[in-house]
Order: sequence, then structure tokens, then C-alpha cells
Amino acid sequence: MSRVRVQIVDGPLPREPSSFADARSDADEEVGSRIRFEGIVRGTEGGRTLAAIEYEIYEPMASRQLEAIAREESARDGVRSIEAVHSRGRVAVGEISFTCEVRSRHRAEGIAAISAFIERMKLDAAIWKNPIFAGGR
Amino acid sequence: MRRDVLLFGPAARMVGRDRITLEARGPTVRDVLAEIAARHPELAPTMGAARLAVNHALATPDTTIGPDDEVALIALLGGG
Repeated sequence: MSRVRVQIVDGPLPREPSSFADARSDADEEVGSRIRFEGIVRGTEGGRTLAAIEYEIYEPMASRQLEAIAREESARDGVRSIEAVHSRGRVAVGEISFTCEVRSRHRAEGIAAISAFIERMKLDAAIWKNPIFAGGR
Repeated sequence: MRRDVLLFGPAARMVGRDRITLEARGPTVRDVLAEIAARHPELAPTMGAARLAVNHALATPDTTIGPDDEVALIALLGGG
């Protein structure tokens, strides 16, 4: 059975791999692919220079939605686990605001699951970006 | 029935606050969305794809909203 985990954390996310890479999941003999996506705050938006993005999250709705999406995408044939972590609050340019890690039997289903998860999150999840421009403008 | 609707992100910035109070003509999500559009023309850019969450779940237009339900406008999302 596939495993999923979703987390909302305050501020930027750490650069090191998540704690989900524990011994038990690494020992899963069905896993042949591990893909990790990191979303990074870009330095510009609409041609203007950004200082940061403030992520506004409506809880517990957002966590429930992300977990539901993760469960549905983890039901894809060959997907063994999905972990997604999203920032809440201020994340400066260059810092990580979102990660999604998928373990699967082969790379193709892992790539497809990550892509679908992100598309659905952007479409439905109760998460908003409030841009903070350099110079406070 | 008077009810509060929570606002987030760009919608909250357009209105200048994170909560509006309005009196819809009926009890459904469709009625409340229509009232928001009528009372707050500044939200017009968001209303085309706007939905309502009722008690933290996206609701259909025909969903009936109870007096104690928590209602939020879900528009212009942008996570990730």
C-alpha cells in the first residue's frame, strides 16, 4: 500500500532531504525511483523585483486537500509514496517554499505523479501567494 | 440571512479586509456568490473562477449553507 504524508511548516524549507527518507521506505524493494521537486521563490514577478513571497494558507482545508490529492496520486500504478511539504508565511527569494518527493517502481510514474500533484495543488488547494516587492513597493 | 465570508490573498487585498458580511437572497452557494459579485464589483476579476468553501470543503453551487457554517471565498489560488 502506498504511503503519503503532507505537512505545512512556517517559513522556508530546509535544503536537506526530508526525514521521510527513513530506513523503512528505503528498504522497500519495489522502489526503483525517487524524485524530489523543490519549488524556489523566484527573484522577479511580472518584471518587478521581489524580496519574498508571503504564503497564506487556509487551514485545515489546505492540509486536507493536499492529503486527498496525495492519496489519489499515490494510487497510480507503481507509486509507492508521496510526501509534500509547503511553507506558510514569509519565504525570501532563493529559498525553498515547497517540496514534493515521490518514490515509485519506475521514473515515469514518479514524474507523472509529481506533475499531477502540483497541477492539482495550484488549481484547488487553499494556498495564496502574496508577493513582497523589493523596496516595499 | 446575514453571513460572514472569509477572504484571502488577492481577493482580500482588492477589498481591503479579510472578511465581508452580506445578506444573500437565498441559502445556497450560488446565492452567496451572486451577492458577493453584486456588493463587491472590485472582486470582478476573481469571480469568474471563484468558488466557496463551506466548513473547509469546496462546495457546489447548489450546496445549502447553514447559519453556523464557515464560508470562505476560494479564488486566485497560487500554491507551490
